[in-house]
Amino acid sequence: MKPSKKALAIALPVLLALGACGTGDGGGGETSGTGGGGTGGGEASNELTVWTWDPAFNIYAMQEAEKVYQKDHPDFKLNIVETPWDDLQTKLTTLAQSQSYDELPDIFLMQNNAYQKNVANYPELFTDITGSGINFADFPESVTAYSTVDGKNYGVPFDAGTAIGAYRTDLLEEAGLKIDDFTDIDYAKFIELGKQIKDKTGKPLLSGQAGSSDTIMMMLQSAGASLFDDAGKPTITNNDALLKSIDTYKQMVDAGIFLEVNSWDEYVATIVNGDVAGTINGVWIAGTIQTAKDQSGKWNITNLPKLDGVANATNYSANGGSSWGVSSNANVELAQDFLKSTFAGSKELYDTILPASGAVANWIPAGSSDVYKQPQEFFGGQPVFEKVVEFGTKVPKNNTGAYYYEGRDAVSAAITQIIQGADPAGALEEAQKNVEFAMN
Amino acid sequence: MPRTKQSNSDLDTDSTKSSIGKARSRRSSLSKGNFTGLGVAQKRSLTGWAFLIPAALLIAIMNFYPMFQAFFLSMKTGKGANLNYAEPLWYNYKRLLDDEIFMMTMRNTFIYLIVQVPIMLFLALILANLLNNKHLRFKAFWRTAIFLPCAVSLVSYSLVFRTLFSTEGFVNDMLRGIGIIDDPINWLGQGSTARIVIIIGLLWRWTGYNMIFYLAALQNIEYSSLEAAKIDGASSTQTFFYVTLPQLKPMILLTAILSTNGTLQLFDESWNLTRGGPAYESMSMSHYLYEVSFQKNPNFGYAAAISYVILILVAILALTQMKVGDKRD
Repeated sequence: MKPSKKALAIALPVLLALGACGTGDGGGGETSGTGGGGTGGGEASNELTVWTWDPAFNIYAMQEAEKVYQKDHPDFKLNIVETPWDDLQTKLTTLAQSQSYDELPDIFLMQNNAYQKNVANYPELFTDITGSGINFADFPESVTAYSTVDGKNYGVPFDAGTAIGAYRTDLLEEAGLKIDDFTDIDYAKFIELGKQIKDKTGKPLLSGQAGSSDTIMMMLQSAGASLFDDAGKPTITNNDALLKSIDTYKQMVDAGIFLEVNSWDEYVATIVNGDVAGTINGVWIAGTIQTAKDQSGKWNITNLPKLDGVANATNYSANGGSSWGVSSNANVELAQDFLKSTFAGSKELYDTILPASGAVANWIPAGSSDVYKQPQEFFGGQPVFEKVVEFGTKVPKNNTGAYYYEGRDAVSAAITQIIQGADPAGALEEAQKNVEFAMN
Repeated sequence: MPRTKQSNSDLDTDSTKSSIGKARSRRSSLSKGNFTGLGVAQKRSLTGWAFLIPAALLIAIMNFYPMFQAFFLSMKTGKGANLNYAEPLWYNYKRLLDDEIFMMTMRNTFIYLIVQVPIMLFLALILANLLNNKHLRFKAFWRTAIFLPCAVSLVSYSLVFRTLFSTEGFVNDMLRGIGIIDDPINWLGQGSTARIVIIIGLLWRWTGYNMIFYLAALQNIEYSSLEAAKIDGASSTQTFFYVTLPQLKPMILLTAILSTNGTLQLFDESWNLTRGGPAYESMSMSHYLYEVSFQKNPNFGYAAAISYVILILVAILALTQMKVGDKRD
């Protein structure tokens, strides 16, 4: 009796302490436990670890890529660790900050807009894949530009953020309009048409999150402009394209043809519930639109309106998208060869993942495949994906800048103030000051 | 009964005595070399230390060491992981003074503190008093109902509040239904109303938590003192303010310090409910700290400086509250 009690007295606290350590480790332990850690050096030479986040989208695409690669390399194995983007960014930052590079996976997915920031701050996280044999010319320049720093490539583009204008043809008809009326137009015309639709149907043409600068950023990129100059200095003041974009945005809000809502969910609801006649966003929004089964056949897509009176303005832009990065801890040869033979070289892969997940390729050769030419019933029989690949090649490249998020948020704050009646020049000056402050 | 009890305890003491005696003799025989020269009291305090050391070590390694590191970090600056000591050392702290967004988040946090904490503590006091009524029925039910919000996860309640206060949400529908407003209020779209929503959320979430503290403290108040007040002709309000409140003072002090501490470190509501918006007008200091570390270009030195400012503010406020509140002497 006595010794067992004693043993218990010692064992319990020890167990508790161990338990506490165990749970405390949970977050990090998960990765190292499943082989995410130290994979580059330690693991079998035919296995790659990947961090990516969406089971229905990019995880699925990775699994299909694994199957494609296994045909020539039967021993090959992928270890995919589901990691939401916010967590992935936090993990990368933490690992880089503590210089525990051996915990990195071989490949990770990264938001295009975050690429410049991460490469600028933590170049040690990445492997330069310029000389990997991947033909980066097979991707639109506007897309590879996100993951290119100082002429070096750090990522293989995955999904396209190519922007589309999607409209409800039934509502357009009520106002006596067709999808062609929205093709290759400028914003002046767009606003005019929007008012017409508002009069006839009572519905705004577009909706979006108040205080989000997505729409503005798309307008900017459509003219190849951004918030930073080539040297990376913020150009929020004295930026004609930005002023014009904000002015256009305000006109649309004031005219009631752009409905501002507070959250992403509300934005999605306006589309799905049929409260708006259309939306302008990255092509990935098509997935959301298609959840409204009752609206099948009532949607069409076309290109964007262009800014009037701005140099280099086009009808094409992009929002979002992501690219695969090869980490500094990777089995570099295998990772490069894998990406080269799948996401940068396999029509078969893109043909599989397009219908199942709606992942539109950035890889230009994929667009010539028959799968892309299929008419989409939901979009009134349009060959939507072929169009999107074509749009993608025309998107002007711009400079996201390492301080993209600072710039974007500062401009968001300025827009909020401008919509509430503040003087644009003053609000933008404030934004410029805040970004400059963040940069020094 | 008493007799047996008596004898039992006698037995107990006897057996403990004898076992102590044994232990002593055993130890003295075992550890002649090591413990010679130590008195009983010293040995006892050594045992005490032995018990304290594991926990103290854990705290030192897991809490104090990172805190010191954070302080050194707060004096460093640089890009990414290449941090060096700044010139001058207080560069990050100086930078804080010029940071308009930080100032805004500090203002927001203090608005939450000044408006929300007093209302919450007062409400909690009143609720605790009502629930302490001996004649109240379904007491356990009320207690649970009021405490329950506290068991809800911060994220889920924030998301529910977000939905409730959306432009087409329940709150606007209700206010319109009873005719207080004609047009829906864009609660989360304006700085002032967004802050009000956060304050309402905090009140809902934390009032019950503080009430439990007061209920516990009320159990320690002699019922006879309340009865005596009643007999002397004090009204229930007078009893509350002049008899109950003074006796609750230590607990009020404790909850005030806890709430101040909690509010200054506010993160979840700012992050989940309003996303800090519109235009930083409802962002809390901790939310800004997180943004500086993980969302924007990482600036850990600066973030550490912010965390130290929060620490200093908490310390100053807690000290003042203790000086003002504690008059025991």
